[in-house]
Order: sequence, then structure tokens, then C-alpha cells
Amino acid sequence: MITLNNEIEKQLIKLAAEKNIFLEGNISKLIVSQSSTDFSSYIQDCISRDKENRRKRLEITKTIQQQNKELTEWKAHNEKLNKDLKLALEASEKAKQTVENDLDVLQKRIQYELVGSIVKVALWVICGVGVITSILFAATLIFGIENKTVESSWSNMFSILLTNSFSIVGTIMGVKYASDKKGRGRKCECDY
Amino acid sequence: MDVIESILLVDDENLFHLVFEDACSLLDITLNLMSIDNADAAEKHFESLVKQNKTKPDCIFVDLNIIGSSFDGIELCRRINFVHGDGVVIGIISSSNDEKEQAKAVKAGAQFWIIKSDEIEPRLEEFVKDFEGYKERTAPFKVYR
Repeated sequence: MITLNNEIEKQLIKLAAEKNIFLEGNISKLIVSQSSTDFSSYIQDCISRDKENRRKRLEITKTIQQQNKELTEWKAHNEKLNKDLKLALEASEKAKQTVENDLDVLQKRIQYELVGSIVKVALWVICGVGVITSILFAATLIFGIENKTVESSWSNMFSILLTNSFSIVGTIMGVKYASDKKGRGRKCECDY
Repeated sequence: MDVIESILLVDDENLFHLVFEDACSLLDITLNLMSIDNADAAEKHFESLVKQNKTKPDCIFVDLNIIGSSFDGIELCRRINFVHGDGVVIGIISSSNDEKEQAKAVKAGAQFWIIKSDEIEPRLEEFVKDFEGYKERTAPFKVYR
């Protein structure tokens, strides 16, 4: 415990009365009055004022502590959201890529199916025309009908059909080759 | 008058130092409070007190997770109890209420576990009532909720 002389006690009491300045902190708990009841009440006043200030500071500190805690939680929450968002973005990019690839494959399939149908129809037309012309020519030969026109038509027809069929097959093969090359080229782009 | 002669608080959160200091002052728990924000520094400080034969703190409050330290609060308890100290009242002050951690703390020699919250004062008041028991090593491990 600390004791002060009367002169200092008086000065401290005067300072408090005139300028409202009191002793602060735990030191006030260690000072005891020698005799003066005024100084005893002054010390009690110092202690109660200090406690009041500490109570206020404690409340403020607790509020700041709570706010800090909330901010930290928010930060963690935001970081988690950002991470989730990044993952979702990556997943959507992958899904987009997959859909684009699927669409490309679908387009190619449709294209091949169309080419197949054209080839089938073209073959049926070629074969049909060839068969009909041949039957007609055969009939003229069997029945001895004048067949010069049919003969020349039949040979012309066959040469034309033959040429055209090769032309169609050539075109189809060309288209197929070009599509394959384009497809490979795109695939290479994806790989790199 | 104050119940505990001197207290050492080890906690990485500086704001809690202020809260603890004000709570101790308001409740007249101690006049001699020292706060350290690092477990390594706390161990060194305690080691130097022992080496220089200086007065050790009567009670040590240790946070569970001391960020920026090479070991946690339980390890600090263990070192103070079994490497450097003898008879110091030591315990954990943490926001966690994990029973596994509490069991580890008991093994490390912790005598109490105070759960940090907005209302720390009632828990400290209750702790102060039990302090003599901790000092005499008669009080069992207790969690202040």
C-alpha cells in the first residue's frame, strides 16, 4: 500500500476540484489515506470513476471484438463463395465445351446421314433409269421394232448414267474427305 | 482486495487482452496482469523467470489456438507444467467447447477451461471463487460455461 503526505493529498483533491483530473488505473487501488476523510472519499471517487471508464471501455472493446468476429466470418464466407463461384464457372466452361463438341458430332452425323440418303436415292434413280431403258431396248429387240432411236438413246443413257454415277460418287467421296480433314483440323486445335 | 497476486494471459487476440484486463480490474481479481500474444514468447518468459529465480505468476490463462506460434495452448500448458513449472495454476481460455481438446488439456495439466464469450465476467467471478482449490490442487478440472 502507498501513503502520501498531507500536502500531496491536498494538491490532488484541489486538482480534482478545479480541473476535474483524477488518478486513474490500478494505482488508485493501492493508495490509502493517512487521516483525511476528504482524501479517502477522493480515492473512492477515483476508483469508482476508473471502474466506470473501464466498464465503458469493456463494452466498446466487446462490441469491436464482436464486429471483428463477424467480419472474419464474413471474410471466410466470401472466400468460400468465391471459391464455389470459380468452381461453378469452370464446370460451366467444361459443360459448354462438351455441348459444343456434341453439337459438332451431331451436325456431322446429320451431314453423313443426308449424304447417305442422297447416295441411296441417286443409286435408285440410276438403277431405275438403267433398268427401264434396258427393258425398253430389249423389247424392241425381241419384238423387232425399229430401235435405232432407242439403241442410241440406251447407249447415250448408259454413258451419261455411268459418267454421272462416277461424278456423284466422286463428289460424295470429296465431301467426305473434306469433312474428315476439317474435323481432324478442329480436333488438333482443341488438343493444343 | 485482489484474489490473485499475478496473472499471465497468453492469447493472440490483442482485443481480448483489453477485455480481460478491464474485467480483472472491474472484478478486483488482480493488479498484476501481464499479457503475451505468442506461445513461444510465453514459454521463453516463463523459462527466464524460472532461471532467474523470479516470482512466477500465480495463474496462467492460455488460449487454445494461438495464431503465429509454433505450438498450441495445450502444448504450452504441458511445457509449463511438466518442463518448467511446478504448482502454477494453469488453464485454457477459449471459445471452443470441444470435449476431446478438454481431455487433452487435462492430460497436459490444465486445471480449468473457461469458455470465451461476450459475458466473460460471470465466468471469471466463478473461477475466482474456485481459485484457492486450484492453488491447493484440491479442485477438480472444471469447464466454466
